[in-house]
Amino acid sequence: MELTNRETWAALHGMILGGAFLLAFAGGLAGLWSLRPEWVTVQGLQERMNRLRIGVFSMAAIAWLTVITGTWIVYPWYRAKPPEGTDDLANYPRAFLLSDPDTSEWHKFGMEWKEHVAWISPILATAVAFIVIYYGKQLIVDKNLRYASIVLWVLAFSAAAVAGLLGAFITKSAPIQ
Amino acid sequence: MANIRVMREGGETTDEIVWTAQELDIHERPNGPAVAAILAAGVGVFVLGLLTTLSEANTDIADFLNIKDRVGPLSGKTVFSVIVYLAAWIVLVPVLWKRTVPFANAMLIASALIALGFVGTFPKFFELFAE
Repeated sequence: MELTNRETWAALHGMILGGAFLLAFAGGLAGLWSLRPEWVTVQGLQERMNRLRIGVFSMAAIAWLTVITGTWIVYPWYRAKPPEGTDDLANYPRAFLLSDPDTSEWHKFGMEWKEHVAWISPILATAVAFIVIYYGKQLIVDKNLRYASIVLWVLAFSAAAVAGLLGAFITKSAPIQ
Repeated sequence: MANIRVMREGGETTDEIVWTAQELDIHERPNGPAVAAILAAGVGVFVLGLLTTLSEANTDIADFLNIKDRVGPLSGKTVFSVIVYLAAWIVLVPVLWKRTVPFANAMLIASALIALGFVGTFPKFFELFAE
């Protein structure tokens, strides 16, 4: 039981980094949502804000690492062109998917959407991280900022979820190996 | 300390806790820095969608965006989008840092940019322009 170099990077990109972002989203959302006057005490505030600051900063960083490893390390293996006359396309996922009309949409729609929409996630998550870190407790009394942060956070998650889900399906059809 | 406001609605009594910035020892900051961050993000997302669609519509643009052969045009789309995103943030921050601006208007602009960015990265949309 062992992973190849490519499988290791694919797992790091999709399962460890991407998975961490998607799993931690709910924590960030709960943290932002619960910054309401009726739900916090002065004593609990400091601990909660520190946790939220660290959480959203970490998630923005993870989102950047996910798209960078995906685009610059894993994606080139996915799109590599097979040599002329090669029949075995197992190491060329893009060519493998396109070789069969039943699977070609996984590339034409799935991968084409995934590779682009994923980059929206870190951009939006970074805006939220900045707002939480810079404004901190002010989010409790400033509903506009809090709601804007929540909406951006959900959009960041949505983009990552689309990319993650499509990535899982594509990997199932044509794994990087 | 929190204030407790007692309100009567249709004969019922409800308690509501309302905190002010002073009670929480918050020195309220203008919304300009947040607006700068959100608008810059909107610009970045919009440029990503725009480059994705333009790359599909014109092979010369796709070739221009192909700054790394192994990655293809996606390399240029992402690099230039991030550069424009950061540049927009750098430009907006000093302009808005100490200002409070109409938040709803700024969010309307940001929402439009982000929505267009999402649309521009959707294959069924950008394939309409395929060369």
